[in-house]
Amino acid sequence: MNFNIVEFFNQTIDLVHKQHHGSIPLILFIGILFGVIIQWSRVDTFDKIAGFAMLHGFKVPKMLFFSIGIASIGLYFMIKMGWAHYHIKPIVLGGILIGGVIFAIGMAILGLCPGTGPVAVSEGNIDVLTGLIGGLLAGALFTYLYPDLKSIIGPNFGKVTLTQLVNHDWFIFIYGALLIFIAFWLPEREVEEEVGEI
Amino acid sequence: MNIPKRLGWIPGGIALALLIWFTFSTIGADRPIGASTGIAYMGAWFFGLQNSEYFQHIKNSGSWEVIFLIGVLIGGFLTSVFITKTFKFRILPPLWKKHKNNSPASRLIWSFIGGFMVVFGARLAGGCTSGHFLSGASQTAVSGLLFGGIVIVVLILTGRLFYKNL
Repeated sequence: MNFNIVEFFNQTIDLVHKQHHGSIPLILFIGILFGVIIQWSRVDTFDKIAGFAMLHGFKVPKMLFFSIGIASIGLYFMIKMGWAHYHIKPIVLGGILIGGVIFAIGMAILGLCPGTGPVAVSEGNIDVLTGLIGGLLAGALFTYLYPDLKSIIGPNFGKVTLTQLVNHDWFIFIYGALLIFIAFWLPEREVEEEVGEI
Repeated sequence: MNIPKRLGWIPGGIALALLIWFTFSTIGADRPIGASTGIAYMGAWFFGLQNSEYFQHIKNSGSWEVIFLIGVLIGGFLTSVFITKTFKFRILPPLWKKHKNNSPASRLIWSFIGGFMVVFGARLAGGCTSGHFLSGASQTAVSGLLFGGIVIVVLILTGRLFYKNL
């Protein structure tokens, strides 16, 4: 094991510099905005996420569906204009099915996911910090077992998008509108906010 | 000017969509938002697995996401202190107390297990809520929609089975 934080950051920053995906300040800026939006809307809480799993409140799916609906329409035309590119993940059927089930059970129990979890840690949730430690161990174990896990993850059905399959501009408006409709259609109910305790 | 203490799902959703556009754009990072690769990268690095096949495979995305997540920690911390005023050290979420138990030890152990499953599952699937759903479904990716569908169903099923007094 190696917990040399200085070495870790030197190597990490070096790896980021070699890519063309923005400078360190720009990436930090994107992260800060993400943290602000998630914390400000309070969708980084156990009560909101596990509360959705218990069907007590719907703020998390409403916000998710709404933002994906808007983002999808703009992104489609940004890519057409050359202002952005597709970054599609492949359909690795076994991995998505098995991984999706394990992920969802964990998400209902922890009440958070890898993006919202760090926000919850930043506002003082010690329980989520132990979840993060569990996540770090899982990452290490997965990396170690990867050669054996490859057979479970496949078969790979490639990088497919619905817009490719339909291949008409109008489709993206229907897709986006449908997601926005779902966001409004889901119940307005929300879990009442309370402060947790030690 | 009065800053609102909470962001509703409509302004929150619009802000998130704007951030997705900026991150994808060539003036931004020219890549999607993702989080779980960063956590796997960090875990693998601490355990000295830099030479393994998987680490080599994820080191670019992983290092980017580590910097992103540090920004997330800063943004979340500052917002919780100055805007929502919700910063507080705590272990037991109110809803856990109501529907599971009163024990901080139980919550800590289950959090550890949950966090482990979340990251292991995300790495099997190749992404999490951010990568597969937020970024993937925004591109109408079939992989992201499939992942999102499975997660919503199993999330609600687990909510039924794992918690009580619903």
